[in-house]
Amino acid sequence: MESPWFEKFRHFVTRKRLRLALLSLALMLSGFVLYLDMTVRAQFEGKRWALPARVYARPLELYPGLKLRPEQLGAELAMLGYHDAGGQLDPGSFRQQRDEFIIATRPFVFWDGTQAALQLRADFDGGRLRSLTDLKTDKPVTLARLDPLLIGGIYPAHNEDRVLVKLNEVPLLLIKGLIAVEDRQFYTHHGVDPRGVARALVTTLRGAGLQGGSTLTQQLVKNFFLTPERTLRRKFTEVIMAGLLEMHYSKEEILEAYVNEIYLGQDGNRAIHGFGLASHFYFNRPLSQLDLPQVALLVSLVKGPSFYDPRRHPARALARRNLVLQEMHQQQAVTQQQYVTARISPLGVAEQAPGGTSLYPAFVELVHRQLRRDYHEEDLRSEGLQIFSSLDPLAQFSAERALTTRLTQLEKARRIPPKALEGAVVVSNTQNGEIQALIGGRNTRYEGFNRALDTERPIGSLIKPVIYLTALEHPDTYTLATLLDDSPLVWRERGTTDWEPRNYDKVFHGQVPLRLALANSYNISSARLGLTLGVRQVMDSVHRLGVERDLNVYASSLLGADGLSPLEVTQMYQTMASGGFRVPLRAIREVLTADGQPLQRYSLSIEQVIEPGPAFLITSALQGVVREGTADGLNKYLSPDLHIAGKTGTTNDLRDSWFAGYTGDRLSVVWVGRDDNQPINMTGASGAMTVWGDMMASLDPEPLVPPAPDNIELVWVDSATGRRADESCQDVVSLPFIRGSAPVETAPCATHVQGQSIKNWFKRLFE
Amino acid sequence: MRFYLTGLFLLGAVLISGCAGIATDEPELLPVSDNNAVTVLADAARADAASGKTDAAVASFERALRIEPRNPALWHELAKLRLQQGQYLQAEGLAAKSNGWAGGNKALRAGNWRIIGQARLKRGDYPGAQSAFDKAAEQVN
Repeated sequence: MESPWFEKFRHFVTRKRLRLALLSLALMLSGFVLYLDMTVRAQFEGKRWALPARVYARPLELYPGLKLRPEQLGAELAMLGYHDAGGQLDPGSFRQQRDEFIIATRPFVFWDGTQAALQLRADFDGGRLRSLTDLKTDKPVTLARLDPLLIGGIYPAHNEDRVLVKLNEVPLLLIKGLIAVEDRQFYTHHGVDPRGVARALVTTLRGAGLQGGSTLTQQLVKNFFLTPERTLRRKFTEVIMAGLLEMHYSKEEILEAYVNEIYLGQDGNRAIHGFGLASHFYFNRPLSQLDLPQVALLVSLVKGPSFYDPRRHPARALARRNLVLQEMHQQQAVTQQQYVTARISPLGVAEQAPGGTSLYPAFVELVHRQLRRDYHEEDLRSEGLQIFSSLDPLAQFSAERALTTRLTQLEKARRIPPKALEGAVVVSNTQNGEIQALIGGRNTRYEGFNRALDTERPIGSLIKPVIYLTALEHPDTYTLATLLDDSPLVWRERGTTDWEPRNYDKVFHGQVPLRLALANSYNISSARLGLTLGVRQVMDSVHRLGVERDLNVYASSLLGADGLSPLEVTQMYQTMASGGFRVPLRAIREVLTADGQPLQRYSLSIEQVIEPGPAFLITSALQGVVREGTADGLNKYLSPDLHIAGKTGTTNDLRDSWFAGYTGDRLSVVWVGRDDNQPINMTGASGAMTVWGDMMASLDPEPLVPPAPDNIELVWVDSATGRRADESCQDVVSLPFIRGSAPVETAPCATHVQGQSIKNWFKRLFE
Repeated sequence: MRFYLTGLFLLGAVLISGCAGIATDEPELLPVSDNNAVTVLADAARADAASGKTDAAVASFERALRIEPRNPALWHELAKLRLQQGQYLQAEGLAAKSNGWAGGNKALRAGNWRIIGQARLKRGDYPGAQSAFDKAAEQVN
């Protein structure tokens, strides 16, 4: 006798109802599968990997006569990861014998075409490249470019980085290795390996967590579509998606996606995806150039890039690699001999990962900001643009070394707590405005606060040359010899407290020749000169020189009370360094698409904003600062024959130490100070200038010999009074004047200018 | 004998080059530099300019200028290109820059002032253009 409950149930489950339930279940399931199918197809076909923009340094151009020391070429090759060529001279290798280099260059696509791979012999003669010869033809080479150093990237969301490879570029051994170790049934299964699934199910039910048993297809699905959680539901989705992928796409397509997608390492916050990039990241060479042990190492990383990281856990990585080799041998992917040789070879991992997380984050940030004016952020992070920048790694290296070593020394000497001092450096080419080096802080690898771009510190006396330049643009009133008044000054302006500037030495200097007032950085005479010219006129000149931000027009602005960034100061001095031509500072030369098509050039742009005469005079006055003024200590670092122009800057209570200066080829601005704005007890000369001097000394500067414009004449004048004199007088100096502006009054000692003197005497008589 | 031949040849060369100097005041026909790398780049730039690839030409001149930033002939040729491209402000600035480095090269200075004059004409600055053309004439006299 059956129970009434069962009767009721049987009555309820009619055949019709059962069919209905099954049908709706099937409908739901097929709906789900359909949804997954759409997802899989849409994503797989629409999958365009987001490729980061890559930023390159300037390529080193080699030509006979180039000023370059052998050790600088060695340093460049080392940075580029050129290795010592053994018997074979492969692209990317070199040999050095004293002053002779044999270099096998790598081919590279530049904006204006491809530089083919060359085998070069480079001979040096002291500090210059003497000759350059093509080894294959034994003919001289006029000009050759090395491949440029990769200095960073602008990464997609999640900081995924990759170098795309096509399946036919992937070594066959790698494919064999992957299949031997990860998925032996790859070519026969339909996305899922039933035995694997069963095994995984058992371990899961045992409570050991869900693991293993994934085919390459499943691994791809996981990486592509799913989150890393481990649940049965997710496993179910994964299995269905893997089946769907296999239905729609060939094994080759799946494999190609796999080798580009799989996660293989971490570099700071940058995720290394795909074998193409992993090959560069671990071995500093393209995937196609890897040998068997290297391929095996990459395969071994699939299981756990962090656990088997060959740089951090070499022993573990070696064991895992050899296990992979063993599997490959067992699967007959490699011969016995190959296996034996590969097993005993070292890991061969490049010590340093090449240019990923940038070595030069401050410079790359500047590049990024300049790009943002012209490109969408999204495109920069996904289109794989190739950015050719103007960074000169050799200049950057000199700047970094000078800043870091000097700051440590300065801290010790001035009893400043260690690591309290900070600094920033900008180096540019005086003629074309290209930025060659940029440091945003003492920890030069730190991707944080960029003091070169973002700190705004009072610039102190660095503003004075602008006052003097503005004056010298009125040659009828001001010349380098004009006497300025350095007696006490009180400036009263309604609504502000009285302003009473003092000199650094607390002394009033009376009547001072203009050039010496600047050379000695006298505050009072400079301020009085600025007030006579008008604060607004001076600030207009600051704008004319290239500073774009709004500026205060207070009297105290004349002594640099207002803040500018080191980059802005560089722009201001750039115009003086290039002889009155405003040249916008640039960090980018060209932009290419991912496949090497030219997209955009950032051209040299110049505009004459200061007449050649006054521009020549201000440089001459700034040369005086180094020759006989506040920066004369620079002669300890660099020969006076270089005629360097420069200006020191010190702010109230010695909180900021600045130096801006230029040689015949480079301009650099250095700032030293503390982030908490505490006094550092340094003047511009005792702080920033020492960094500048160290750096420039290692860069072999060109002497500064600006071309004298037509309307400039040299005239002997009495040093103190500025009266016209001649060579035979004592304490005379030969100064440049804009024609017609030289003093007419003669000093008593002058004999050779007698005629003129008499003429002047008559002139005065009748005036 | 050989010595005399060489001497004769040299004399001829001097005469010919002298004539070339008289026959034309186009400074760009003279070799742009004694640095072969610069010459190669300048030649490439001229070839590109002649076939209408002005962007490529500009790039090559800029590359040459990185090697020889004080070469007034390079600045001059770049100015001429910018004038052709209708970038008059740039043309004027570059020609002025060339003048800065031109020293006593009167032919080059005259050429630069003519570029400046033409650029100013195109921008509608007639008095400025006139004064530039006057300066060009001064150089020749």
